[in-house]
Amino acid sequence: MVEFSGVSKTYANGVTALHDVSLDIATGDFVFIVGPTGVGKSTLMKMIYREELPTRGTVRVEGRDVTRMPARDVPYLRRRVGVVFQDFRLLPRRTAWENVAFALEVTGALPLHADRRVTDLLETVGLAARADARPGELSAGEQQRVSIARALVHRPRLLLADEPTGNLDPDTSWEIIRLLARINEDGTTVVVTTHDHTVVDRLRRRVIAIDRGAVVRDDAEGVYAGRRD
Amino acid sequence: MPAAGTEASGPATRRRGSARRVRPLGVRYALAEGAQGFVRNGLMSVASVVITAVTLVALGGALAVAGALNHVAATLERQLQVVVYLRPGVTPEEIAAAHSRLEGMPGVAGIEYVSPEEAMRRLEAQVGPQAKFRDLLQHNPLPGSFVVTATGSDRLAAIAAAARELPGVDEVRDGGHVLERLLAVIKAVRLGGTAGGAALACIALIVIAGTIRLTVFARRAEIEVMRLVGATAWFIRWPFVVEGAVTGACGACAAAAVVAAGYALIAGGAARALPFVPLPGAGEVAFDIVWKLLVWGVVIGVAASLLAVRRYVRA
Repeated sequence: MVEFSGVSKTYANGVTALHDVSLDIATGDFVFIVGPTGVGKSTLMKMIYREELPTRGTVRVEGRDVTRMPARDVPYLRRRVGVVFQDFRLLPRRTAWENVAFALEVTGALPLHADRRVTDLLETVGLAARADARPGELSAGEQQRVSIARALVHRPRLLLADEPTGNLDPDTSWEIIRLLARINEDGTTVVVTTHDHTVVDRLRRRVIAIDRGAVVRDDAEGVYAGRRD
Repeated sequence: MPAAGTEASGPATRRRGSARRVRPLGVRYALAEGAQGFVRNGLMSVASVVITAVTLVALGGALAVAGALNHVAATLERQLQVVVYLRPGVTPEEIAAAHSRLEGMPGVAGIEYVSPEEAMRRLEAQVGPQAKFRDLLQHNPLPGSFVVTATGSDRLAAIAAAARELPGVDEVRDGGHVLERLLAVIKAVRLGGTAGGAALACIALIVIAGTIRLTVFARRAEIEVMRLVGATAWFIRWPFVVEGAVTGACGACAAAAVVAAGYALIAGGAARALPFVPLPGAGEVAFDIVWKLLVWGVVIGVAASLLAVRRYVRA
């Protein structure tokens, strides 16, 4: 599903975010990418949905080298890759339902029964009853559920969550991680970056540890050990 | 992040009027968002329209003046005439000799002798019936002349030069010279207007782009979400392009009105001062330039909008 080979990223200011990273994420995987803040986890995620380009190396998503993808194809890549952020990035003047629908509306590619799909997705993330509430009226956990529903609306085969629990209390964090695990069980490949050891140690899934721009560990049923923060 | 609006945060909040429908966002969305951006920027939009209008007034003014002069030049070109004025007191023999010499010149299509009496009659006809010069003047001051029609505008200079050598000839008016000078003036006006317009267009571009950037800034969260969920670059750009086009079109209409009014004023004065010079009417000029100004206004506005979103929408 995702394949990094020899990826390095040096920013214009000379900071090296990643150094010669190679990794392979199979279809159907659930992967934690762990490590302290500022070691290149987000950079790695951004390369998957092509918000950043590597300085060297290639990134393949569903077999396609996204580093050589023409800019006009990027929107179509992003419809196949859902992204969730720490800060939710919801539009404050739209309801939960409208936030999810917006992702369909702006791409102009409306599936059959689009209304139904939005309602069903809010059901999936457990927010059917709050569909008409605006982000300001929702708790942080609820807002993250809306953003997950939005990320899934194009039925992506890959879901990226960049520090999805960064703004949440421990109980809510665990609920969100469980929701992501359930989405993974339904067949979507899920990649989660985090520096939250509790959820990593509790879920026992594949853990890729990154430190100072390099992969330092890759365990199939890993824990957040060897941490430095 | 606790719930902000408190009273409406029950578990089953329903908002009236929220139709749960996924609407495809198309042309209407772009037009509505563009218009909304234009209105929301208020005075900044007004400033953009004004600077665009100023730019286009420079361009439109030059176009109008050049157009009027072109009209004059075309009239002159059609006439293809050399007027050979005779000395006062020229004898009938000299007139006959000059006539036959002119007739024999290459490139001469026709010759008409205009006697001093005929010239006076024509002047009176041109100026109007109220003028009775014959009653005011004891002598007719007008000279006799030959109006020589050439076969082409390229022959005018040669005919004029030869006519100057004839006995009894006082002065030769060669339309070609006037035409040449007029064409040079037209060229200069066009060039000056275009250069001035281009310089102003750069300023207009910066002002409009700055204004649209306010809209971009106000909508940056939305733009960010659109990018992330896979909206195409053009989908994101359209509302801004509309805002730019609206700004440019408003500026163009204002400019066309100013230029037409200014032209009507000047052409009215010119028509009184120079009754012999044929000038196109103000309506004709306005019609001629308004679409050119619209095109340029919209081009400037759209270019500015693309400049404004460039940083946010790369592809």
